[in-house]
Parts: sequence; C-alpha cells; structure tokens
Amino acid sequence: MFDGGTHPHPLIEVRHVTKVYKSGTKVSALSGLSLEFQSGEFTAIAGPSGSGKSTLLNLIGTLDAPTHGEIFHGGRKVTGLTPEELADFRLRHLGFIFQAYNLIPVLSAVENTEYPLVLQKVPAHERRARAMEALRSVGLESLAHRRPDALSGGQQQRVAVARSMVHRPMVVLADEPTANLDSKTAASLLDLMQGLNREQGLTFIFSSHDPAVLSRATRVVHIHDGKLADSPAPDGVA
Amino acid sequence: MITLAWRNVWRNFRRSLITIASMACGLAAIMFGQSMIKSVQYQLVEKATGSITGHIQIQHRNIKEYKFPDRYIDDPDAVEAVLKTQAGIKQFGRRIHMTGLIASPKTSMGALISAVQPEREKDITTMASYITRGVFLGKDPKAIVMGDRMATKLDLRLGEKVVVMAQAEDGSMGAEAFRLAGVFHTGSETFDGQIVYLPVKAMQDLLVVGNRVNHFVIALNDIGQTDVIAQELREKLAGQPLQVLRWKDVDHEIVGVQRFQNALLDIVLMVVFAIVALGVLNTLLMSLFERVREFGVLMAIGARPSWVMKLVLIESFLLGLVGTVIGLVIGSLMIAYFGRNGLHLPLGDALSYFIPFPDVIYMRYEWSSHAFAAGSVLVVSLLAAIAPSLRACRLRPAEALRHV
Repeated sequence: MFDGGTHPHPLIEVRHVTKVYKSGTKVSALSGLSLEFQSGEFTAIAGPSGSGKSTLLNLIGTLDAPTHGEIFHGGRKVTGLTPEELADFRLRHLGFIFQAYNLIPVLSAVENTEYPLVLQKVPAHERRARAMEALRSVGLESLAHRRPDALSGGQQQRVAVARSMVHRPMVVLADEPTANLDSKTAASLLDLMQGLNREQGLTFIFSSHDPAVLSRATRVVHIHDGKLADSPAPDGVA
Repeated sequence: MITLAWRNVWRNFRRSLITIASMACGLAAIMFGQSMIKSVQYQLVEKATGSITGHIQIQHRNIKEYKFPDRYIDDPDAVEAVLKTQAGIKQFGRRIHMTGLIASPKTSMGALISAVQPEREKDITTMASYITRGVFLGKDPKAIVMGDRMATKLDLRLGEKVVVMAQAEDGSMGAEAFRLAGVFHTGSETFDGQIVYLPVKAMQDLLVVGNRVNHFVIALNDIGQTDVIAQELREKLAGQPLQVLRWKDVDHEIVGVQRFQNALLDIVLMVVFAIVALGVLNTLLMSLFERVREFGVLMAIGARPSWVMKLVLIESFLLGLVGTVIGLVIGSLMIAYFGRNGLHLPLGDALSYFIPFPDVIYMRYEWSSHAFAAGSVLVVSLLAAIAPSLRACRLRPAEALRHV
C-alpha cells in the first residue's frame, strides 16, 4: 500500500510519461516526461497555457491515464489500476483543489468539507468534528453552514482547501488554485497553503503561471510544450 | 448519499416538479382506470348473478346450453339434501328455465320462462325489487310476473289471464292459465320484454315432470368463495349425473368482456408507463448533463464509479417515490369521490340490453391493482435511470472536470 515518506522511494515518481489526446487530430500534451516529488515539498508546476501543467496534475492525481509511461505513488505503480481501485486510492491518499473551486452547490461548507470522510464511511460525529477542525484551520468555522452560493470566491477556495486536507492525504494537488482570485485573496490562500505545508508537513503540488505565486514555491518545475523546460538530470529526472 | 440525492432532486425545482406531476397524474389516471373498469366488472357480475344466474348452478351432466338446460335432474331431493349441509350458501332454489309461448286474450309471443321457488327467490335474485305494479310471486300458485314491455305488447293489466304454453319432455304441448300478479321494470330490454316468472310447482304440473327441475341456482354469502364451494359440491355430488357450474361458466360472455377490458387496461398502463419513463429519462439526462463536472469532482475526491451510479439511481427512485405518493393520494381521493357520488357512464345503456344495469358506477378501491401500478411507476423510474446512471459512472474524472 501507499507508503509515502518512510521508505527510499520518492513520494511520487513520473516515468517517461506521454499523453496524447485524440479528438479529431492527435495532440501531444506531454512527451516522455520524467519527474520525482518528495514528501513535504511545496512544488509549483509552471508553464504557459497549453504547456501540459493540468495534464500532468491530472495524471499524477490518477484522474486520467497516460498514453505511455508509468506513475508511482510511494513506490506503488498506479497506472493500470481499475477505476474503482483508483477511486479508493484518491480517497485515501490524495486531495484536490480546483481553479473553479468545484464545491457541491447543494451542500453547506461543512458538508462539502466532510464529504471525503462520508465516502470513507467515517462515523457522523467524528467526521463532523474533523470537518469543523479543517474549517477552523482555514479560518471559516463561522461560515460552516453556508452554502457555496453564499460564500465569496476566496471563501469557497478555502473550503476547497479544507476539503482537500480533511482526510489527511499524503499530497494535495492544486490546479491553478489562485487563478480566479484577486491578488490579495490569492496571497492569503497561498499563506494558508504554505502554513499547512510548514506546520502539518502537507505536501502541495500546484500549477500556475503567475510569477507571484511561483515565488512562494520551494521548488518550481517548468514545463513547455509537454516537456521539462529545466535542464533535466542525466537520468531524465528533474 | 441519500441526503445528497434528495437535495439534488430539488436543485431544479421546476423540472422535478413537472416530472413528479407527470408521474403523479399518470398514476392517478391508472388508478382511476383500474377502479372504473374493475367497478364496472364488479357491478356487471353482481347484476348478472343477482338477476338470474346466481353464483353456482347445478345441472344435468349432459347439458349443452347452460342457459337453457334441456335435461332434468332426476333426484332433486338428493341435491337439496347436499346443499342444506354445505357451508357458505346463502340460499338455493329449484328452477326450470325454458322457452315457451305466452298468450293474452289479444295476442301471443315467445318468451323465456323462469320458473322459481317464490319463497326462496328473494334471497337469490333482486328481481322482486324491480316490481313497479302489483306484487312478486308469493303463495298464489297461479301467479305470473312479467316485464312492462311484455305486458304492454300483450296488452295485459294486473289480474288478467295469461296462458303459458311449453313443450313437455315427451314432445307434447302443455298449457296452463295464470293471472298477472306483478309487472317489473329493470331497464333491460331483454328482461322487460322477454322473461316471465312463475312458480316452479305450477311449471312442473304443466310439463308433467313430477318434482324434477332442470337446474338449481345457488347464492353464496361471498362470491369470492365460488371456486372453493363449487369444488366441494363437485366432490359431494360425485357419482350423480350432474355438473356444478360457476357463474363464470354460465355467463362466459361476461368473462370475455372482462378479459377485453383487462387487455385494454394493460395497453393504457403501458402507454402511461412509457410516458412516465420518458419524463424521468428526460429529467435525469438533463440533470446529468448539467452536473458532469460535479460528478468529476465527486470521483476526484474518491467516489467510486459504482457510487456515482448508485447516486443517480437513488435520485430517480426518490423522484419516483414522491410522484408515487402524490399519485396515490390524488388517485385515492378521486376514487373516494366517485365511490360516494357515483360516475355516470353511457355504458349502462349498452349493457342494460342484456341485464339490468345502472347508468351510475360506484367506484371501488382495487388495492392489489393500485399497489401493482404504484410499484410499476417506481420500477419504471428506476429502469429509466439505468442508462443515465451507466453514463455517469463511465465518465472519466479528468474529462468530466473539463466539461463546461
């Protein structure tokens, strides 16, 4: 099973991954990409629009399958698992933050936050306590019972952060988390993510093309036209 | 999951309301149709058995035409002895049915002669209740009762003499004079214009058949016991040259009408179910299309494809459940209203040619049929959800999240 952080394997390893989309014409989003991520990183994936940032995050997050290549989480190969196994894997080990917040509109902030625990079948009283704790850590405890349409964009994204961490995942994947926020709210959200990274050791991998956001990362991986733009290591690992 | 499904049902209030309304109206219409047809059938059977046929008849084994038995029961006392010990019988009576000629001083005409035991007949049929002039058969051994149409055709008034002629078993013609004791009006052309009632003893004398009759008519306390009691009587009368007939054997045309009506009802049911299914399917597909990204989010945070499928099925089930409950309430209220006030149907005019049949149908609940219809609406709402739920569970999370 997943064993990130306590063994010689990197937390996430991307090996020679290629992703080709076939919608009419073939479009190569990633070409033979190899990368490693270690536990506790606060890593940004940078690149212009269409460079393959979101595709890489989707592949790491097991939301999509590579056309070629393999992906390992804690030494365990996740490419090739069934959709049900992948769902279970995400439920236990991954957290997600999306650009458009993507909260469930019919659920309140606390209900959205606790939903991964509902799927894990955590008892109601325990999951509610943990969801409230997560909301407290993002400063939204007082708005716990508001539905998304009664929250600002920044507040919704904080709820998304709380949802991404409530089940204590090994890594949180965030696809342009600040793209829909103004600069002040974006800075506040990054403060929050950095705090969680430093204080709770939560690994973050997020994508952005905003220099102000990238400057917060402890490591930046540049992608251009589906390939690493940085000088890769001799074995092809960044 | 149920909380999420329930809230999803109501997130597009107007669309769900329209779907629920179509299901509720469909179910209410089905219940109304079931009740109307079953009530017509119930009254049809009630009138047929209560006016002439009875619930069970005993005839000679070799009879070809049940309505006009052409053979006599040789030992009616033995049959009567058996009937007296049989549980579940309200009343029974000896009868002779045959065709004959009725003559007044002015004219004559053919008729169906129903010779009955007057003292028992009031507990077997309701003919006495249709008397409009004079009295029904009683102690007068030479009384005759007929419908108003026949009395008019024969130009007869109460107390006037009527001659009844019929063919005896040996082929000779017997004739006997009677006095018109009563005139009835049932509304049925057949009854009012073609049937006369007279005492069975007088008919036996006319035909010189001793105490023999050509059938027994039995009225039960509960028509639902017909099959059981008929079978018990068959066993008790085994060895005698007799046959025990149920009302549905004698009035087989009523069974035919019932089958036709039931088939018609089944077709209507299928059409309504198809409409309900299309409504639910449309609602679910629209809802699914709007929520593709949301399903992607749920899958991203760990919902299994089978979980997503279950969510869509539960939403459809809840939609169906609300529609079913409302439909049951509306349908029940409609049936209750027409059960109390009656429903005027032109059907009465058509059927009353053959038997006394009212214009008003008093509707009754048919709970087993209603439960089947309600269950079917629920099943249909689930079946309609299968395709959308399969589509939802086959979504790839990354593609779903890109959906706009």
